[in-house]
Amino acid sequence: MNIDEIFDYTSFTIDREPHIVLDNQVCVGCDNRGCTNSCPARCYTWSEADQKMTFVYDGCLECGTCYVVCHRNAFTKWSYPRGGFGVAYRMT
Amino acid sequence: MKKQFQAIVVGAGPAGSSAALTLARAGLDVALVERGSFPGEKNMFGGVLHRLPCLEEFFPDFWERAPLERHIVKKGVTFMTGTSSFNTTIEAGAFDTPPYNGYTIFRPRFDNWLAQEAVNAGATLITRATVDELVYKNGTLSGVTIAGRQGELLAPVVIAADGVLSFTAKKAGLRQPTFDPGQMAVGVKALIDMPREIIDDRFGLVRDQGFANEFVGCTAGVRGGGFLYTNYDSLSVGLVFHLASLRTSGKTPYDLLNEFMEQPQVAKMVCGGRLQEYSAHVIPEGGYDMIPELVGDGIIVAGDAAALCNATGLNLEGINLASQSGVLAGQAVIEAHKSRDFSKRGLEVYRRLMNDSYVMKDLKMYRKAPHMLHNDRIYNEYPEMVCSMMESIYRIEGAPKENMTKLFLKTAKNKVGLANLAADAFSAWRSL
Repeated sequence: MNIDEIFDYTSFTIDREPHIVLDNQVCVGCDNRGCTNSCPARCYTWSEADQKMTFVYDGCLECGTCYVVCHRNAFTKWSYPRGGFGVAYRMT
Repeated sequence: MKKQFQAIVVGAGPAGSSAALTLARAGLDVALVERGSFPGEKNMFGGVLHRLPCLEEFFPDFWERAPLERHIVKKGVTFMTGTSSFNTTIEAGAFDTPPYNGYTIFRPRFDNWLAQEAVNAGATLITRATVDELVYKNGTLSGVTIAGRQGELLAPVVIAADGVLSFTAKKAGLRQPTFDPGQMAVGVKALIDMPREIIDDRFGLVRDQGFANEFVGCTAGVRGGGFLYTNYDSLSVGLVFHLASLRTSGKTPYDLLNEFMEQPQVAKMVCGGRLQEYSAHVIPEGGYDMIPELVGDGIIVAGDAAALCNATGLNLEGINLASQSGVLAGQAVIEAHKSRDFSKRGLEVYRRLMNDSYVMKDLKMYRKAPHMLHNDRIYNEYPEMVCSMMESIYRIEGAPKENMTKLFLKTAKNKVGLANLAADAFSAWRSL
């Protein structure tokens, strides 16, 4: 299984409006960044060179891991997608 | 759309739909609000649907009626290392006759069915509706708003069954504002397509028989475990990690899942299958000590939202507890409608019903189990100890055999340390 091909395995209806908004300035001073390895969909990537956290919500499985592991409260918004949007499991 | 109801249930999972079903069967006008485009669309689990005695009261023919996969007749535990594994399996005749003890299911099908049963009983199901805010009028909770929609849904009482993160319970001030990663786990799962005959042959099953296996020692030292369950023509294979351990490990769930499926003994079980779907979800594993306030003014919390999950290491129960709590939440709301008291005091009957049920009694009995499971040796040293000892017992090398007690003590001393072994045995005994 290759996580880069998540859109081949799992269906999503992507909203234009993100359901999670990250203040990535907070991540610069984070001593842990557990989100980068804990997120099962690899939505968070930290660039050491740019000292920057990138967050992409498209492939978010709405599992809640980042909400629990982030101890810096870096989210300006953390909600579930609007009705009808986001991940759509068929047979799991 | 109609706006006024006698009760609003947030979330059409096992807890919410059980609550809505209970209320609708009693003739109450209940709204069942679900953010997915159908109930079950957002739901995954890495488990077995255990027997649901509370639903059997509604459906005496539950196992004929619900969309279930295989019933579990064979349960196994595997202690494994990168190269070896030691299995114990129980296959019981009693597990092969109704009422069956547990089933594999697909959540998008099962949850949808249960919600439709609530609808058949008279509940109003509102899908594609993410609850946004709680509505208060004159200081009394009186409904909810839906994200991106105008207007409000009104009712004198709300049942929060919106899952592990329950923003509804948070907004009502019933759950802690942040979670302790030490009380949470994340499960990831691969659904693997495989012809039915191959599954039957490979796992020794006939008819609708199913196999459920748990694994320890497959998480590269991260606290957690693995599972493999048989559906009719697919396997559910996955891992569960404690978040406090995963977040500092630097390891990723998907890499560890790949390593798990490539471990030689697991590889043989999943060989020839094709990945169909990948899913993940957080699990409340803190047990009794994690349970939030169950009741507030105009609100009751049920299911994962109330952290009702019993993880003892061997059994992982959640849906049965959710469903039971949903039924009890429904009964409490029926009582509240009789007394016309929706205050915290009026809804306290829910707490009493819960305390008298197996849900709270089991969680209380196993309240020390989550603490015991925060022991790194369980996930590394013990599987290695077991596998290494069994290898030594069976190995023939032309030299005289060692006494088994000596062999055990030597292996234990090498892998775990005798003081640790004694301490862990005591802790396990106290927890279980």
